[in-house]
Amino acid sequence: MEMLQFEYMRIGLVMAVLIGLTAPAIGTFVVQRRLALLGDGIGHVALTGIGLGLLTGSSPILGALAVSVLGALAIELLRARSRSGADVALALLFYGGLAGGVVLTGRSGAGTASLQSYLFGSITSVTAADLYVIAGLAAAVLLVVALFGRELFLLSQDEELARAAGLPVRFLSALVAVTAAVTVVIAMRAIGLLLVSALMVVPVAAAQQFARSFRGTMLAAMAAGVLSAVAGLAGSYQYDLPPGPSIVLLALAVFAVAVAAGGPLRRRRTAAARARAAEPEVMKS
Amino acid sequence: MTPPFEMRGGHVRRDGRDVLRGVDLRVAAGDVVAVLGPNGAGKSTLIKALLGLLPLSGGSTAVYGVPPARFRDWGRVGYVPQRLPMGGGVPATVREVVASGRVARRSRWLPALTDRGADRAAVDRALAAVGLAGRDRDTAHLLSGGQQQRVLIARALAGEPDAFVLDEPTAGVDATSQLDLAGTLGGLVAGGRTVVLVAHELGPLAPLITRTVRLAGGRIVADDGEAA
Ligand SMILES: Nc1ncnc2c1ncn2[C@@H]1O[C@H](COP(=O)(O)OP(=O)(O)OP(=O)(O)O)[C@@H](O)[C@H]1O
Ligand SMILES: [Mg+2]
Repeated sequence: MEMLQFEYMRIGLVMAVLIGLTAPAIGTFVVQRRLALLGDGIGHVALTGIGLGLLTGSSPILGALAVSVLGALAIELLRARSRSGADVALALLFYGGLAGGVVLTGRSGAGTASLQSYLFGSITSVTAADLYVIAGLAAAVLLVVALFGRELFLLSQDEELARAAGLPVRFLSALVAVTAAVTVVIAMRAIGLLLVSALMVVPVAAAQQFARSFRGTMLAAMAAGVLSAVAGLAGSYQYDLPPGPSIVLLALAVFAVAVAAGGPLRRRRTAAARARAAEPEVMKS
Repeated sequence: MTPPFEMRGGHVRRDGRDVLRGVDLRVAAGDVVAVLGPNGAGKSTLIKALLGLLPLSGGSTAVYGVPPARFRDWGRVGYVPQRLPMGGGVPATVREVVASGRVARRSRWLPALTDRGADRAAVDRALAAVGLAGRDRDTAHLLSGGQQQRVLIARALAGEPDAFVLDEPTAGVDATSQLDLAGTLGGLVAGGRTVVLVAHELGPLAPLITRTVRLAGGRIVADDGEAA
């Protein structure tokens, strides 16, 4: 617990908890919508926002927020508009975002160390002021999930069913994209833009191995997210490693354990479910 | 009374091919319409177009008198798709899927006002009606195909709509469950509900049907209810 004597570690731990909660929460919807790479796309685009923020001397976080929200909306528009062309258009956005970000960061004279810290994370650079912004964004993400959870569940189940229920499919799709963008900005300082979407996807993939319900998947993913983020951060301090990769490697370890333990569990459950189904009389009485 | 569904000269193109070619179909309240026809005839396309889930390339269609894009009262319509959608593989329980059939009844901007007790009771009734009471905590995708079909039917029942649109609700469903479904639909029809269903085999549903529409190559080739 000696690490708690440093203010940046206390800030870092609060941030780790916020990231661990928010990324898997929105990630559950993102994975169910088959948009696992959405976070990566937004991450690449966000780098341009950071570059703009640095170049204009304003806050890199707010720059990243503005550009990644716009990028997320662009990605969503491309996804909804075209089926085949979206692939290439997305790739163009990825490359453009990354290249633009590197060029702008270079022009701002921030240097490669600073660029590296945005790409792979660095917790020591986060100030208390940053933390307030991040906490506000995290609260917004969790509020969206709490308020629109049932609508987003149906949307990610199937857009056609959502439309047949009269849900505003385009608005809700944009809401998922924007919320994912906000999550990218929350996590980018600690984890880095290139790894940021790992925490949206990997804890969900882990929870999926043994959970029965959507809600259970989300809660288990959030637990796995907080565990990996906090333990990864502590480990990175202990062994002097960069925080982002440490957190992601821990999340992957949790996933590996879940796969090893979840397979047999699921097989047993399926067998039990099929067996129960074979006795309809019992079920109806 | 405004008819639940009314299509005039409906055309639908999918991937550059005309899949629906000038369909006129007026479904009156209380009708129980069976849509029959070979694979690829356009049956699923027709009912999706009736609901506005596929855009028309010609003609017009209305749900309770209003074009689907401007229709607001979706709680009145219950849609049962041909298959349980998988999504990205996140598990969902039977109860979660069935409860999602009540989303249209939620107050959109004040979801907290939704009556959870009524939601729960409606889901329980729907599960009992399809013989899945007690299975509500099972993962929907781990059930058999016929059971998944029944989950989708329960999903529509839970919404307590006025009109049901069912795409092959009995495909892969065993004889006993088909009888149960016929009983449930019979009760709903007696209560004045409207039903449009696609089927290859009517089976126990046959006595309920008031009108049969036969589709082939995207056209209605026979309709025994046109007189009205
Ligand atoms: N998603 C799609 N994109 C493009 N064309 C499609 C799509 N789905 C169906 N079609 C085409 O539309 C035509 C009608 O399909 P539809 O699904 O309406 O048939 P159906 O009568 O419901 O058949 P089935 O009995 O097999 O369910 C088919 O020729 C099919 O190739
Ligand atoms: Mg069909």
